[in-house]
Amino acid sequence: MNFVPLALYVIASVVYAWHFAEREPAAGRSASLLLIFGALAHTFVIGMQTMDVGHVPVTGPTSAISTFVWLLALAYLYTEITTDERAMGVFILPLLVALQTIPVLRPVIEERAALLEGPFFGLHVSLVLLAYASFALACVIGITYVLLFKEIKAKHLGFFYARLPSLQVLDRMNRRTVVFGWVCLTIGLIVGVVWAQYANSDPRVQAMSLQDPKIFVAVICWVVYSFELFAAPRIGWGGRRTAYLSAVGFLIVLLNFVPISYFSSGSHDF
Amino acid sequence: MHLLLVGLSHRTAPIELRERVDFQGRLEPALRALAARGSAVEAVVLSTCNRAELYAACNDVAAARADLAAFVGDFHGVDRAAVAPHVYDLQDLDAARHLFRVSAGLDSLVVGEPQILGQVKDAHRAATGEQTVGPLLNRLFHFSFFVGKRVRAETGLAAGAVSVGYAAVALARKIFGALKGRTVLVIGAGEMGKLTARHLKSQGVRHVTIVSRTLAHATRTAMAIGGASAVPWDELDSALGASDIVVTTTGATSPILTKARIEAVMHSRRNRPIFIIDIAVPRDVEPASGELEQVFLYNIDDLQATVRDNLARRASEVERAEAIVSEEVGKFGAWFKSRGVIPTVVALRQRFEAIRRSELERLDFKLGALPPEARARVDEITHLIVEKLLLTPTAQLKGLGDAETATAYSEALSRLFRLSDAADRDSAEAQPEIRAADPDGSTALANDPDASTSSGTPRATSSGERVERADPGEDRVQPFIRPKARPTGPGR
Repeated sequence: MNFVPLALYVIASVVYAWHFAEREPAAGRSASLLLIFGALAHTFVIGMQTMDVGHVPVTGPTSAISTFVWLLALAYLYTEITTDERAMGVFILPLLVALQTIPVLRPVIEERAALLEGPFFGLHVSLVLLAYASFALACVIGITYVLLFKEIKAKHLGFFYARLPSLQVLDRMNRRTVVFGWVCLTIGLIVGVVWAQYANSDPRVQAMSLQDPKIFVAVICWVVYSFELFAAPRIGWGGRRTAYLSAVGFLIVLLNFVPISYFSSGSHDF
Repeated sequence: MHLLLVGLSHRTAPIELRERVDFQGRLEPALRALAARGSAVEAVVLSTCNRAELYAACNDVAAARADLAAFVGDFHGVDRAAVAPHVYDLQDLDAARHLFRVSAGLDSLVVGEPQILGQVKDAHRAATGEQTVGPLLNRLFHFSFFVGKRVRAETGLAAGAVSVGYAAVALARKIFGALKGRTVLVIGAGEMGKLTARHLKSQGVRHVTIVSRTLAHATRTAMAIGGASAVPWDELDSALGASDIVVTTTGATSPILTKARIEAVMHSRRNRPIFIIDIAVPRDVEPASGELEQVFLYNIDDLQATVRDNLARRASEVERAEAIVSEEVGKFGAWFKSRGVIPTVVALRQRFEAIRRSELERLDFKLGALPPEARARVDEITHLIVEKLLLTPTAQLKGLGDAETATAYSEALSRLFRLSDAADRDSAEAQPEIRAADPDGSTALANDPDASTSSGTPRATSSGERVERADPGEDRVQPFIRPKARPTGPGR
């Protein structure tokens, strides 16, 4: 079922690229429409899975990725509609496509362990996923910032100069998405810790510590973004350096998502 | 009806003459004067710094051409003979193509400049206000707006700044977004600095500060700009710290702003981005300063290089823009040609309707005995027969592709059905009214054949008299008649 949104995302990404290159307004509108349909189809898929198993499918890495992609698509659409700026789509869509292929190739909904029932766990995962989706958006915004920055610095005003919004707008968008993500991540992590206190009858929960790669990387992320938000402006790190931080932060998130989820075992293997 | 353009532009006339025949600000009187001359049925006056053009719809092209050319001189009190050699004229689709190219910015001095489309719209608006626009020019100008927008949206013809001032403003926008709320520091109180400051001020920057070695000069310049303040030379560093955009224009022989100095300032401003435009020669800013993070340094050569790039890029888009123009000329042409047969269609319908009515009247003594319902039925049936007979020829005529065939067909029909001159004239006069009711122009006649005869224009006297005589009879059958489909006699 996951392949329907994937197919729409693939087509949308092609149209977004075409729009970016040719600056055809009609292409931009069709791209947005395709993405909206993709997100709707995705909503439907996730809704069906929820009905199927009786809970939001976030209990295993595969379904979590699908949910993450869905959230990212929605977050991007929200930014696009509120700013009327489509240039970012060409960078976001490939990410959606790449990540969405995982649930398509492994079409399983992980069984929910009895341990994971209850509102705290759902809240924890939803918040963290939402944070990661924001960070993904911030990463893309950061990359575009750097591309535009380099063109202006090099006095070679070409491709990106003609297509991207101003540095200041990108900087502000970056900051907003990071603030949102940081708040979600902070609350998400706190909820996770609280939940672990509740459920510490389980041996796996008892084994949870910073040494678990997933938890460790999440904390690293939190540190990186906290630095970006609070320390960087004070030491005069603005603009390009902040943009780089956003990009690096999300690379760490991605690391947490794919390799660690699938290939490393630890206490936090869900 | 023909489309005619008479005008002169930067391509044909020197600036001295263009200045003298400028219609800007006097469009309305010009349109009224033009209408009073009567050589054109419809008229629009388009006037910019680089062109003065009259667009007209007329019946007699040769006469209108001569009259419009004379009007350009007469209206401005310039000798006709002085204007004549610089005037060009274009007809029908060539005139349409010209207007489309103008709207697209293809005919401008600086290709793709943005103001022209607004000026074309102003011309159309003024003519609409003076009611000198009819269906033909209305259609033409709306087409041209569409072409202008399409070219701007689909090609890079209007992209990129093509003057140093705009290039600087465009760059500032790319760095800071909106310039509202930004502050500008101008170093040097010369003429260049003043011009740049004015330009930035007109783009909405919040505050301009002038700093000069002589405070009195700076104060004077600040006063001249208005809304600017002057700062003494030794406060330069703090002024740098407070500004987002810096313009340097001094005549100093060695750099005023060294890398070390800017670095110190950047530290104090916590690395907020700064855009330095060095338009002085020799340069006021040490080039290595551009290496500093968050310092965007452009000198006059850099700006000129971006302008050159933009011009080259625009030139490379001309072909695509021309293709769009050609495409739209084709679409307009299809409509334009199809309307060429409309007088014939109208005349044909009038002819048929006249025959039907005269026959009904001739048989009036036989039909008189019938009850009103039956009379109405007879009227309806005969009307439907005429409709059916005309349906195919009307569709065929309108489908004719090229003007020559259309003319041949029209002539043949005129001869075969003796579509009299009187009827032709009537239909020509009746046309604008039809169009006014139906902007598309092509459907009215097919769907509502009587629209042409009920358009308020008196028909030929002979048929008109007959219609008048038929009136009492019509009154009797009135309840069964679709009101819209019945011709109204001129006597009513």
